[in-house]
Amino acid sequence: MHRLEQPDFDQREKIGLSAAEDSELVTAVLRKDRKATAEFVARYADALYRYVRSRLAPRYDQVDDLVQEVFLTAWLSLNQYRGAGSLQAWVMGIARHKVEDYYRERLRAPESIEDADLDPDKSTSVPEIHRLVEQDQLKKNTQRVLAALPEQYRLVLLWRYWEKASAREMALKTGKTEKAIERLLARARAEFRERWNHGQSS
Amino acid sequence: MASLRDDEFMEKIAKAVELSESDQVPARLRARLYSALVQQQAQTGPLMSLSETSARGHQLCVFEQLVRIVPVGERAKSLNICRVCHARVLAEHLDKPPIYWAGCPYVEFKKS
Repeated sequence: MHRLEQPDFDQREKIGLSAAEDSELVTAVLRKDRKATAEFVARYADALYRYVRSRLAPRYDQVDDLVQEVFLTAWLSLNQYRGAGSLQAWVMGIARHKVEDYYRERLRAPESIEDADLDPDKSTSVPEIHRLVEQDQLKKNTQRVLAALPEQYRLVLLWRYWEKASAREMALKTGKTEKAIERLLARARAEFRERWNHGQSS
Repeated sequence: MASLRDDEFMEKIAKAVELSESDQVPARLRARLYSALVQQQAQTGPLMSLSETSARGHQLCVFEQLVRIVPVGERAKSLNICRVCHARVLAEHLDKPPIYWAGCPYVEFKKS
């Protein structure tokens, strides 16, 4: 279950789209009705763009290409859409896979990050977070820290904690051992926390 | 122990923070997405003809309308004529392209 963006994935009810309307649009796009294709883009581009952008930040240079890849894949697989869920949820599912592919590819690259010295005594008073920082500030801090991390650390944290992939899944998809992923995660978490604490104190 | 605490820390952050962004897709990207999709559709066979597109109640742009009424076969009316239109080129490169006529998807993308 992917929590992030999930509430926006199934917007059929929210924006008043019925299963019949989804199905009608799919049929028209499959028949290569160019105006329906324009509607397909207009309807889902914003949600896809926001999702992909949030998952690739701060590598915004890759966002446009990945969103385009999602649309092209959606078109190529559209005849497999059965209408079990909303069309938006289906399209967002493709986007999730594309983001995972991106993470996988980037994490497959040989690790260039030195092992960080992990100090087992370092700790952060986690339960205090909500009381200490307002939600908006929390988001800003998180984005700031994630953006400052080395790419491998950032991707592995996004994949594990925001996309809810297990270390085992990540290992299978990247061709690394589960142990290697766990080590990478441990270093990434430690680095995240260190930068977080540094930001809090400065 | 330390990694458990780190793990808990990250779980809490991820639970508390949605990373979604509120940005709208730039109009020029919408235009590029549409062009890429129609281009791919055209590569696998003719598009729905402009006669049929119009019969389905869609508004055609002035250029499409012209192609629809000229006495040429349906095959010519099923081509991706946006490919040779300057509106597409402008829309793919500018967020506020100077194109205004009705029925053009690129004009619609600029509005949304």
